[in-house]
Amino acid sequence: MSAPLILLPGDEVLRDHLPSNNSNPLKLGPGLRLLSQPSSKSKAGNHVLTATQAGLVTTDAKRNTVSILSFSNRRYIPTVNDLVIAQIHHSSIDYFHCMVTPHTAHALLGQLSFEGATKKTRPMLKQGELVYARVLSIGVGAGAEVELTCVNPATGKSEPGGLGPLVGGMVFDVSTGMAARLLRASSSSSEQSDTIDGLTVVSELGKKLESLGGFELAVGRNGKVWVDCSNAGDSAIKATIAIGRCLQTTDEKNLNPADQKKLVTRTLREMNLAS
Amino acid sequence: MVGPTASLSNLSRADGSASFKCPTTGCSVLGSVNAPIELPARRDALKPEEATVEVFVKPGNTTAGVGERYVEGILRTMLQKVILGRERGFARRGVVITLAIIGGDAVERGDSYLTLLPALLQTALLALLSAAVPMSMTFSTALLAVTKSGDIISDPSPVDAKTASSLHVLAFSSKGHLLLNESQGRFDFDTWEFVRERAYSTCRGAVVAGSDGDIAMDEEGEEGRADGFIRETVEDHLHRDYAWKIDSA
Amino acid sequence: MSKEASLSVAEREFILEALRQDSRLDGRRADQFRPLNISFGEEYGHVKLELGKTRIIVRISSEVTKPRDDRPFDGLFNINLELSAMGSPAWENGRTNELEAYVTHVLDSVIRRSNALDTESLCILKGVSCWSIRADVHIIDYDGNITDAACIAIMTGLQHFRRPDAVVRDGQVVVYGVEERVPVALNITHKPLSITFNTFNEGHNVILDSTRKEEQASEGELVIGINNGGDVCFMSKFSGAPIDAMEVVTQSKVALDKVKEINAQIEKVMQTDLAKRAKKGMAEESRATNDREI
Repeated sequence: MSAPLILLPGDEVLRDHLPSNNSNPLKLGPGLRLLSQPSSKSKAGNHVLTATQAGLVTTDAKRNTVSILSFSNRRYIPTVNDLVIAQIHHSSIDYFHCMVTPHTAHALLGQLSFEGATKKTRPMLKQGELVYARVLSIGVGAGAEVELTCVNPATGKSEPGGLGPLVGGMVFDVSTGMAARLLRASSSSSEQSDTIDGLTVVSELGKKLESLGGFELAVGRNGKVWVDCSNAGDSAIKATIAIGRCLQTTDEKNLNPADQKKLVTRTLREMNLAS
Repeated sequence: MVGPTASLSNLSRADGSASFKCPTTGCSVLGSVNAPIELPARRDALKPEEATVEVFVKPGNTTAGVGERYVEGILRTMLQKVILGRERGFARRGVVITLAIIGGDAVERGDSYLTLLPALLQTALLALLSAAVPMSMTFSTALLAVTKSGDIISDPSPVDAKTASSLHVLAFSSKGHLLLNESQGRFDFDTWEFVRERAYSTCRGAVVAGSDGDIAMDEEGEEGRADGFIRETVEDHLHRDYAWKIDSA
Repeated sequence: MSKEASLSVAEREFILEALRQDSRLDGRRADQFRPLNISFGEEYGHVKLELGKTRIIVRISSEVTKPRDDRPFDGLFNINLELSAMGSPAWENGRTNELEAYVTHVLDSVIRRSNALDTESLCILKGVSCWSIRADVHIIDYDGNITDAACIAIMTGLQHFRRPDAVVRDGQVVVYGVEERVPVALNITHKPLSITFNTFNEGHNVILDSTRKEEQASEGELVIGINNGGDVCFMSKFSGAPIDAMEVVTQSKVALDKVKEINAQIEKVMQTDLAKRAKKGMAEESRATNDREI
């Protein structure tokens, strides 16, 4: 593997760094743009790929994509198909107006965009309640509204599973970089290995807390993690706090897998949850 | 000579942040960037298709006054040129840059901000990078003083700056464009041309510019240059952030 | 937009339920402060303070000015706090908000009005010139309890600061440079600090040093300004649910213990720093003599 390639805005991505799979068209992820440079030598314009953000270049040969991984503390910008945890701000006749990141315009979530929702059965969400939703569209043009949905419009089901109101539990704030890692870790099936993207904290917590009844986790790309341990009975609160602290510490201190394991063991012992 | 020091993403609430310490002037600046966020009551912005860039300079031990407002204007004009305000999620939103002078002497009332301008610009750039605000290019800056005897000094000390016959701040983009030219004092065009050449070499290494405005590029490899410093700072931080990815590769 | 984004129902309910079980999100006890870390910049009176994730920078500065006409024997002392977008995206640059006014009021009452800094000692020449001391507070990261944190930072700054020496000679005020004469420490009469209590669950839970989310979930707030000697110099209960009078009495005892503990910590970091400076100063002096000999 070649040395990691780190670019600054304005830097060109050289051709040999791009995936060599030519069967699919090349897809550009965030942080990159294609510029056509009129060149005097050849008549056809020259296309160059330049970075718009500072970050690490990553490529996926299978899907033929190239993108830039930027700093993990950045603010979340809605992208179609992302899973987010949104907070209801208020509701109007047709829509719930939701907060995806603080101090930005509200995103819209249709009152009927839930599995099996009709005028009579739609959920009555109040201010401050949370939903796990997918970004449906981000609109075109300046200041366009972002639309969310909790249902797959094609099937009428809440796909992927778990979309819809999040009841009880607790949400913890993590960096957007951490949220993306957690999502990748949960989507790639866990049978391969315990450590995905350098994260073992979730599977470690899962093992240790199994005897208490396990826990439910929903990760939003907007830097929120919802944790529910309601199966744990009396220890529910403590277990939830332990999970939140483990996730946040792993994120803030950028722990490696070995340290993550130690952290889990230590935190659970401190909270008297060790089994 | 001791080079400047900088670190990225030091703050937890801001979307991006950076601190920068300049050894010659002794000033340290802390910068934060919040973007993209909603700016209330600015929907009537002049360019509705673009992001609004706001700069706020906060002096360390005085109340902000005319000097700060003036330098904010310079910073805003300059940063607007490199920020891609039409990228997804940014149009019609705000990019709020806050720069606090947290160490070193305050700029005296009525004095120009020229000596602090490079530090403010570098901090703003690093904070913008840390917040992943899309930009078309980066830039580097140089502060030069022309002494009474006509010598050009880079990074003059506060004493040198005070006695200089003219002071110049220049910024060059990573593509070689002259992005900013602020001067104060008396000087002639020839002097300025020398200053420009010197500034170009501090910022980017090579000293070349054709008469037709074509700039010969001399790429990569030089250490100790102003643009190399920005790159190193960013690379260091990303290596740490993505240790899990880089190490496993 | 000058308000923090409101808490979700889940967060509020969880914080309240956890407190009922005597648990806090970061594992602290109810009366425990977050780790407090105080360090100094290069200049005197430049304090960097971290209280958990809340971070504050305070800079103390001095200048010679004319005293107020009605108080010719008094110097001036001002505390300056401006919340900028750096501390929280909720704060707008150049616009005051409620929190700013509130915190300024508390700091002013606890430190300035209680005469922690003896302003009479700042007088140089009656009615003509005096020192004006200024404390600039920069909240660079906001995660709750900025009142107590700023109080600690300002008091540390005032004790750490050294102003240039000035004398009156033949009716003229002469200010000596730092190189000419050893700068002078300020005259601190007592060391008050504020301690903020937040109440939850109809007053059943009272906690110290709330984080931002705990503050948002809180039903009421009580601030006590108190010094090492147990003199209460400020007490306020601005808003929120009522607090039992007896509770106030018990909490002032808690506050006293806390203030003693924190003041001891301030004293310790300050002595360490001043000792380090003295050593450095001596080293520089000997280097200077060496240079001369060569």
